[in-house]
Amino acid sequence: MSVIAPNFKLSGFIKSIIDDVVWFLLIFSLIGFPVIMMVLFFIPMPVIDGELLTPFLAFTYLADPTRTLPIVQAFMTTDMFKVMAFPGFGFAALLAAGTIFVERKMLAKLQLRVGPFYCGKVEGILQLAGDGLKLISKEIIIPAKADKPIFWAAPVLFVASAAAFVALIPVAPGWVVADVDMGLLAVFAVIGFFPIVTILSAWSANSKFPFIGGIRALFQMVSFEIPLILSLLGVVMVTGTLNLSEIAASQSSFPWIVFLPVGAIVFFITMLAELERIPFDLPEAESEIVAGWLTELSGMMYGLVQLGTYLKLYAFAALFVVLFLGGWNGPMIVPPFPMDLATEGIELGPVTAKIGGLEPILSQVITQEMLNGTLMFVLKTVGVIFFILLPRGVFPRIRIDMLLSLGWTKLIGLAFVNIFIALALVYAGVLGPGGLQ
Amino acid sequence: MADAAFLALAVITIGSAIAALEMRSLIYGSIALMGTLGGIAGFFFLLDAPFVALFQLAVYVGSIAVLILFTVMLVKRELIFKKIEDRKRKFAGIGLMLIVMVSLGAVFLDSGIKTITTDEPAVNFRDIGTDFVTYYWPALILMGLILAGSVTGALVLARREDVENDQRVS
Repeated sequence: MSVIAPNFKLSGFIKSIIDDVVWFLLIFSLIGFPVIMMVLFFIPMPVIDGELLTPFLAFTYLADPTRTLPIVQAFMTTDMFKVMAFPGFGFAALLAAGTIFVERKMLAKLQLRVGPFYCGKVEGILQLAGDGLKLISKEIIIPAKADKPIFWAAPVLFVASAAAFVALIPVAPGWVVADVDMGLLAVFAVIGFFPIVTILSAWSANSKFPFIGGIRALFQMVSFEIPLILSLLGVVMVTGTLNLSEIAASQSSFPWIVFLPVGAIVFFITMLAELERIPFDLPEAESEIVAGWLTELSGMMYGLVQLGTYLKLYAFAALFVVLFLGGWNGPMIVPPFPMDLATEGIELGPVTAKIGGLEPILSQVITQEMLNGTLMFVLKTVGVIFFILLPRGVFPRIRIDMLLSLGWTKLIGLAFVNIFIALALVYAGVLGPGGLQ
Repeated sequence: MADAAFLALAVITIGSAIAALEMRSLIYGSIALMGTLGGIAGFFFLLDAPFVALFQLAVYVGSIAVLILFTVMLVKRELIFKKIEDRKRKFAGIGLMLIVMVSLGAVFLDSGIKTITTDEPAVNFRDIGTDFVTYYWPALILMGLILAGSVTGALVLARREDVENDQRVS
């Protein structure tokens, strides 16, 4: 007779649980609690409602969870929250993950395939989580003759550069991680790091396919940086500032794409080349050189590079939105939150449910402007990302000499045309002081 | 705070400059050169000149260092460089460096610059632009002509005569 646990006794089971609880409480009160107190002694705590947040105060929150709302508010105004969650990494990574799924599904529909289908029952909605788990659990194989320090560092550096790019993007009024006065110049400086990381990663693998892909990526990125920078000078001329938040705020009446369509087109094409998207995906040309400069990367290193690529895609699309499509500006479509619910509470017959601390968080942090700005920004960014993904299902890859001649002759010429248009608009008085804006 | 940042930047800049010279591997040497150029950008940040600092990053680290890296990758080191190293050269080099540093330091100490106040407002790049198109306009035009001439010359040099017109990409 097979029994799973032949000597099972309920009393023994309960005794073991009680033993564990007693030991946990003993060790926690003797060691854990003093350690927490000692750590808290050195960390400056926020002042909430004129009262310093001490651990003893924090314990009273257990009895009344709504009193934690001021802590949430204080946390949401910290730099840490901005870097980790909302306008920074978390928000961008969420959009990037959505982009990967939509790309696979949309390309499949374009080419009359099914795409991810089985994971998660509904249209393969969990495919991304499955792929992520697979990448995390895979072994990282390093080529025997690779230059190990550079090979290990390159994916991390790639994600770090992409995250630095994301940090410069203003999402809603006042919601930007790094509000740099020279924001656009900082963008140029950050973009300059991608070819370095790419060529170092490609060289360090000590293999032919990555090296060819890396050199192609270097050619492509460095030569397309010039039309990229030139195409954005027109926007700087008509706004007179390099700060990305001010550029976005200056488009409250109309977006700059109305006046500078040539610059927008040039920037979009250079964006495709910088992102190595089809039709400019020569560095990763899978039908010629396996996977280009990604060939030797495996496991989570490949996953990091993919994450960095899609963060970069989001950042470029967001930059297009900020510079040419008006950023967070748009019609106010988010309804105002009924404030009397927060100030007076909800009456449910004899009972009145009132949540204290909801009113300041709604009027200071999550305001109507912030929600509407974020919604407008996300809608425009998703639209631009759609147009970045679309060529992949439609166009073939172009030759490298066509690519270089396109970048060096046609796009630079068009970028200068755009600069002259901007100059004419400013000097004719259409824009700038005395003009429309 | 500014002192600590200055010291750290100085260590990074000089350390990576020495590393760039002394590294046996050329790739690591050029990475160390990037560290030096980035450290100089950090000095510009400390001096409240973010405009110059970001251009230093974009141009020197982003373009020139990449160019050096690219060149180094295509070079077979053993074929070009022959290692010449003896004690005399080494000590002569160190002595030359000491002489240059001491004389430069004497010039700086003599010039009366002892302290730098770091709470000055940042340099306004709009003023630089205004100066360029008003007082310094001959210099601006001269620079423009030189740049145009060099770009035209580069295009002429890069033009290949052996490629027929029908082979060119339309």
